[in-house]
Amino acid sequence: MAVVLDGIAYGLQLALLAVGLTMIYGLGGVLNLAHGQFAVVTGISAAVLLDRGLGLPAALVLGVALAAVLALVTDATIMRAVYRLEGEARVLLSLLLTIGLAFVIDGLLIYNYPFTQLNVRVPGPAIPVLGVPMRRGSLTASALALAALAALIVFLRSTRQGKAVRSIIQDEEGARLCGIDPGRVRTAVFALSGALAGLAAIAEGLTSSIGATEGTELTILALIVTVVGGLGSVAGALLAGLLLGIIYTLSQVYIGAYVTFIILLLAAMVTILIRPSGLLGRGA
Amino acid sequence: MLTVDDLAVGYGDSIAVSGVSLHVDEGEAVAVIGSNGAGKTTLLRAICGLLPTRSGTVTYDGDRLTGTPAHRVARRGLAYVPAERRLFGGMSVRENLELGAYPDRPDAARMDLVFGLFPRLADRRSQHAGTMSGGEQQMLAVGRALMSRPRLLILDEPTTGLAPVLAEEAYASLEALRGEGLTVLVAEQQVPLALDLADRAYVIEDGAIQLEGPAAQLQGNPDVRRAYLGIA
Repeated sequence: MAVVLDGIAYGLQLALLAVGLTMIYGLGGVLNLAHGQFAVVTGISAAVLLDRGLGLPAALVLGVALAAVLALVTDATIMRAVYRLEGEARVLLSLLLTIGLAFVIDGLLIYNYPFTQLNVRVPGPAIPVLGVPMRRGSLTASALALAALAALIVFLRSTRQGKAVRSIIQDEEGARLCGIDPGRVRTAVFALSGALAGLAAIAEGLTSSIGATEGTELTILALIVTVVGGLGSVAGALLAGLLLGIIYTLSQVYIGAYVTFIILLLAAMVTILIRPSGLLGRGA
Repeated sequence: MLTVDDLAVGYGDSIAVSGVSLHVDEGEAVAVIGSNGAGKTTLLRAICGLLPTRSGTVTYDGDRLTGTPAHRVARRGLAYVPAERRLFGGMSVRENLELGAYPDRPDAARMDLVFGLFPRLADRRSQHAGTMSGGEQQMLAVGRALMSRPRLLILDEPTTGLAPVLAEEAYASLEALRGEGLTVLVAEQQVPLALDLADRAYVIEDGAIQLEGPAAQLQGNPDVRRAYLGIA
């Protein structure tokens, strides 16, 4: 039971990390391989701000804002070139350019902040949940992830702007005919995905810690969740996040920490073999 | 209201439509008839900003529309219903209609008007668009277009995939909309229905206008009768 609860807690974090990536794919058919690096930017900048004496809430908010701004700049620069292309050329250019961006961010952060870690501790004794004592940091991270995901779902389902986002994912031409500007929506969602990655970094900082070298690992985790859930499906990312979170903690406890990443990749491969479009992906 | 002057549209190296000029006046119903591949869809898509034009101009209410992206054209009161309908299949009828009003807040009175015109949509307002029949999807596509309070409604083959009875129903609803003062431009292969609705019509073949005139006159034209009305 404890393992499952830990898995759910971790799964919520994975889902939070992946939803931004999957929405960007759904909207424009592009992948952002610097997604994990956006999360790391939040982690490092919040840690540096804390170090300079800024209060915790302000440091975290500024850290998330910085990731969102970085995403906006990315959208206004390299993604402009990507969206000018169509189909396969578009995906390929997005992969090339964002992997380059990931290298640049990695290089700058690892060189300048090699030992900086965001590490947010929530003091106090463990709180029992269904009879299992859960660490306060882990519970806070879960609450943060749940709140962010719930807010995202309410936004997508109940607001005009959120419905516009879904309409583009379902039929971009139909959306344009309704007067919706896909370019503007993509820009807004790119910024949102940066902020969501930043929140995922804070959740990571609450449960363990996040440092400059973790960008690529986070990107790969987000990609695995996105692919298993079905590219472009927000609900799929939630489901896949929870499932993979549980698999992750189970394999850590019963098999060994050193192979968990391999097991996640295996789970992704098996899913794609059985359902090429992912758990909730559209047709195959 | 709408003037197309010497328009040329092409894909890659090939020219699909060239030298096309037409006009639609306020309150008119105009049909563009022609066989499959004649260039009807290309022409309409270029007018609506979905395709770039090679040369020529599209003017709407005195303003040049050429080069305006589709979402801006849509916001100017020119609504386009494509043959593929382009509905949001995973969203409810109500949500599809709401999005039709974007960026404005959907207006309840307007939605009631659509439900009044198509009572079947009212019965199915919570159903996902993708699960509906072809006829219902066509109603929803027109309904969604009406939500933006258009002054000019442009339809590409509204009878695509519809049984004859439903095709007639679709045209009956267009007739009703004309009665409300809406201006209509329709491209159609089902020539008899289109000519019954329209005041004037253009015959397009191989990407160019071959013939134009009042609908009644075209109905009597021996070439039109032979080619499109199945009457020798």
